[in-house]
Amino acid sequence: MTATMNHPAAAAGKSRKPIIEHLNIVTAFALGAISAFVVWRLALQFLPADTEVRLFTREDKITLLSMIAWFVGFMTGIGALVAPFRWVMGKDLSHDENMFLAGKDMGIKRYFRYTTDHKVVGIQYLVITMVIFGIGGILAMLIRANLGTPEGGWIHPQAYNSIVGTHGIIMIVGTIIMVTGPIGNFIMPIMIGARDMAFPRLNALSFWLIVAAAVPLIWAQFIGGISTGWSAYNPLAGQAPLGMNGYIMFICIFALSTMVAGANITTTVVRMRAKGMTWNRTPILIYGIVASVALALPAFPVFFLSQVMSGMDRALDTSFYNPAGGGSGWLYENLFWIMGHPEVYVILIPAVAALMEMAPVFTRRPLFSFNVAVMGIAGISGLSVLVWAHHMYISGWAPLLNAPFMLTTELISIPTGMLFLVLVGTLWRGRLWMTMPTMSIFALLWNFMIGGVTGIYLSDVPADAFLHGSMYVTAHFHYTLMGAGLTGAIAALVFWFPKMTGRMFDKKLSWVSFWMVQIGFNVTFAGMFIVGLQGQPRRVEAYPALFNHGNLVTSIGAAVIMSGMLVLLYGVISSWRNGVKAPMNPWQAKTLEWTVPNPIPLENFDVLPTVTSDPYGYGKEKK
Amino acid sequence: MTDLMPPTKNKWWKSPDVKKTFILWIILTIAIGIFGSQFHILSMPAPASDVMSGVIGLMSLFSWAAAPVAALVFAMCITALTSSRHYGDNPPADADHQISNSPRANATWISVSALLCLFALVVGLVVFQKEADAIHEENAIHVNVTGQQWAWNYDYANGARSETLYLPVGVPAIFHVTSKDVKHSFWIVEMGIKMDANPGYTTETAVTPNKIGVFNVRCAELCGLLHAYMQNKVHVVSKDDYEKWLEDRSALEARP
Repeated sequence: MTATMNHPAAAAGKSRKPIIEHLNIVTAFALGAISAFVVWRLALQFLPADTEVRLFTREDKITLLSMIAWFVGFMTGIGALVAPFRWVMGKDLSHDENMFLAGKDMGIKRYFRYTTDHKVVGIQYLVITMVIFGIGGILAMLIRANLGTPEGGWIHPQAYNSIVGTHGIIMIVGTIIMVTGPIGNFIMPIMIGARDMAFPRLNALSFWLIVAAAVPLIWAQFIGGISTGWSAYNPLAGQAPLGMNGYIMFICIFALSTMVAGANITTTVVRMRAKGMTWNRTPILIYGIVASVALALPAFPVFFLSQVMSGMDRALDTSFYNPAGGGSGWLYENLFWIMGHPEVYVILIPAVAALMEMAPVFTRRPLFSFNVAVMGIAGISGLSVLVWAHHMYISGWAPLLNAPFMLTTELISIPTGMLFLVLVGTLWRGRLWMTMPTMSIFALLWNFMIGGVTGIYLSDVPADAFLHGSMYVTAHFHYTLMGAGLTGAIAALVFWFPKMTGRMFDKKLSWVSFWMVQIGFNVTFAGMFIVGLQGQPRRVEAYPALFNHGNLVTSIGAAVIMSGMLVLLYGVISSWRNGVKAPMNPWQAKTLEWTVPNPIPLENFDVLPTVTSDPYGYGKEKK
Repeated sequence: MTDLMPPTKNKWWKSPDVKKTFILWIILTIAIGIFGSQFHILSMPAPASDVMSGVIGLMSLFSWAAAPVAALVFAMCITALTSSRHYGDNPPADADHQISNSPRANATWISVSALLCLFALVVGLVVFQKEADAIHEENAIHVNVTGQQWAWNYDYANGARSETLYLPVGVPAIFHVTSKDVKHSFWIVEMGIKMDANPGYTTETAVTPNKIGVFNVRCAELCGLLHAYMQNKVHVVSKDDYEKWLEDRSALEARP
């Protein structure tokens, strides 16, 4: 887009209203629904009956075809195909059309269109992340409500399993996009001194793919649900109800979105940093975001393929994972965790990097050992693709490989320790400016320490033989993904809120929600650690009376978290609507995003900036 | 860690911040070590096999190994939090100590974490090897464990079958675990062993119960609708009782 903008002569105004001006979220949903219905009806009519008695196969075909039709219809309706179609015809979009796509002078409507402006995409990501966390949180409350008493009971087991699976997968998706989505799209290009992303249309594509993906997942809830947990192990997924197809489509589309976003963000950072922004002067958040999306690049194609094979097993009677036909469930487990372990660092690294970015600002001193921070991020990224089979120690797949995987897993504690060193080193003897993000750094160190140490117990093969599949594991990864990851993401929201919305985040509300969430969180998962150690398996809808107390504690803690999150939500809405107008640089930080005025103009910078010093030069003038 | 201090002429260890951190570190190390190990020991069920005792010992040992590291981080956090705080809407002046790197601190930190990592690995491998050897025990009894939605079936060498596991005390038992439908996970909670039951494959795990009593088997892998109810008891009995039970059972099976 930027290229076209520089040559306005290439474009000439057309008298006819171009087709892209008619496309928005309404046409997208309409076209998606219509095409899904048409294909469903046609498939119902013309697909031949199964030759022998089988569970589901014909219905699977019909469901998957309709969902694919939904996907194609939706993407056409939102306008994703306009530009590619134009290229096929040997033309390109005109300047006016590009400006339209960027959402120029369009007000609120641009948030409901295929808008290429990275700031619009960032806000879209922020809102969808909050919606995801809202739904995921409600599902979590349903789980806790059901586990309030030992006999469980008021939710049917099938529905309960589906709630657990849906909670798992959408929280995973929410946490994957929580930093790289809003912050990575809105702040990152400004931070590196660019006018937009490298591929603005791909940016819009990556967001609308998530919206397109959401519908099959919701659809799934009405045709049997996802009763397999978020990991959807085969062959259990093979015998699960039709809702499983919704999961498969959801993952395929979401994986596409992640791949597109990953390629886009990586290219942007590598190619579009401002003049003078050498790798030494690139803020640490940028490293975190790039490490995250670059890890997703090898991980998510594998996830995509694993689900394609799962869908083929269901709909086309192949036997990739079906032991009766010569397949193996271990194949699925391997593919799943080859995605699954890098994926937890996809979530964690940018959140920790965001807090590293804030640490110098709130301690008024340089980031301690920038090089070690980069080494830590790189080390974690490198090792994280070599550890997947620690999820399979007791699967029986390859007992001889347990020792090597134990080695690689425990090695990760070294680069993780580097991240601790950097944060603690920055806080030590700093002049602490007490804000909610500052306290979040301490909260992260506390939660991540517990998550990390319990991770070492779990990485140990004999201990894992006891702990695997118990609530202990659930508590452990909530400590890392929520206690560390989400804490960082919420701090990032409060920190960059003035730049993203032009208003300050309400201070009092940020403190109230911080303490409620952190205290509730630690209560919740302390209870869960205990029941895990006592021997309660994961994903159960009822349990022996022995685990009563721990579960009660967990349920109460969960309610506190939920209340804290509601306070946060109220804080976001009220501050966004009528918070104090933010100055250009409320935190007196030294990175580039604070040098642009509020509201940020369409292409961020009139004159592209030149960077002459590192972003953490606090106290330099004294020397 | 000490090298985080600025290179001044004063001796770094005389700084009040360092003293405070050091005292906190000692106190917190002891507190975290005791809490961490007791948290695990008290929460985990009483062991019914040496394997489980080993696991509890490991957890306790790792808690103590992690305690100094966690204590150091927390001690430094507390010192930072208690020494210089600033409230208000405008930032404070830049901090006095502007040190942006310390190669010695980095090197110390990384080598200590590498050593701890090596320690965890070696300890883990020693226990792991002991357990791996148990599968080759010669005078062991063999039980075929079959998971199916949502129950366990046990087949013994002499043709006896049951839905509740019986084991003789003090005799190594080797389990050949498989599944009829989807993946399950065979977990004898108090004995600290777990092995997935995979359809189409048979996998092995072994344990020697060392206590007479009734213990729990739970399925540890989501296996569908009634996963939560796929649990059962293990009866560990004396060797004589076991022989008797086995004969009764096989006679029951042999009946036309």
